[in-house]
Amino acid sequence: MSEQARLERRYRRLLACYPRAFRRENEEEILAVLLACAQEGQQRPGLAASADLIKGAIQVRLRPAPGQPPSVRIAIRLMFASAAAHLAVLITVVATAGSVRSAAARSYPGLAAAHTVSATLVMYCVLASLGIVVWPLLAWGLLRGRDWARIALAWEVAWIALIIGVGIIQGSAVYAPANLIAGAVDWLIALSACVLLFTGTSGRFYHPEPRTETPWRGTFGTM
Amino acid sequence: MQEATYLILTALAAGSQHGYGIIVDVSEISGGRVRLRAGTLYTALDRLRADGLIAVDREEIVENRLRRYYRLTAEGEKRLAAEAARLHANATAAMRRLNPGLAGAWHEPGQGRP
Repeated sequence: MSEQARLERRYRRLLACYPRAFRRENEEEILAVLLACAQEGQQRPGLAASADLIKGAIQVRLRPAPGQPPSVRIAIRLMFASAAAHLAVLITVVATAGSVRSAAARSYPGLAAAHTVSATLVMYCVLASLGIVVWPLLAWGLLRGRDWARIALAWEVAWIALIIGVGIIQGSAVYAPANLIAGAVDWLIALSACVLLFTGTSGRFYHPEPRTETPWRGTFGTM
Repeated sequence: MQEATYLILTALAAGSQHGYGIIVDVSEISGGRVRLRAGTLYTALDRLRADGLIAVDREEIVENRLRRYYRLTAEGEKRLAAEAARLHANATAAMRRLNPGLAGAWHEPGQGRP
């Protein structure tokens, strides 16, 4: 395989980060420019060029769909913030698990209490891990104007409230205040996104007649 | 308007150009300060096409590779002119304050030189 063919194959792997419809329209042309800019004998994409392509792919995928109201745009940003908050929750829960267990053991001696605390921590971890995956997926659906994503978000808000409520009943405010605060922040972000998606002009974006696929004009959806 | 967008539109103001040509031209226009990369360029071109500021002029196949030429639309020309006037007005205001004695040398866009 020639040097240029190797470079081309590696550039194509990077271009796979872009949505399919964008690639169909632009891939060959971008590739021609990338190869024209390459140095003699270059076999691998440079770090800066790779970062630039990945940044471009993220920008294209996050580009608002046509007709998307500002409230939906803000809500989607909040969703990504929520995914980041879930990551923070996961890190917090894992990092403080030991101290939470020992604090709980001091406050509530007994095997049953220790098991309850462990189960709660596992539940927090599962919830946070799910959030890291689920929130971007919901944001993807919301970007495409899918009503199911809006409904799923509302259920998610209720679910998080339930989990936090159970945690409070079990005394999390005493033995796991950091987890409670992180969870509450996460819930507030999700609730704000939910309010934005169910009020104002957002409804029209999610409740038109069945949406038809429009020609490529920069939506997150076409993967 | 972002600087990269402004420079891309400026590059196309003189006539249609293909992607690599725009990169070279933007580098020249900016005195080598701005070196567009392919990812940035095509993300911007795609957005400018969606906004109706540029359009595909023609396509060619050169050495088995697609070469697409872009041109400014009427809306693109209007937006570029407005942005250039805005930047000129800002530069004028700054230079007037930096060089009060040379106030006459800097004039508002659209006004004749004294």
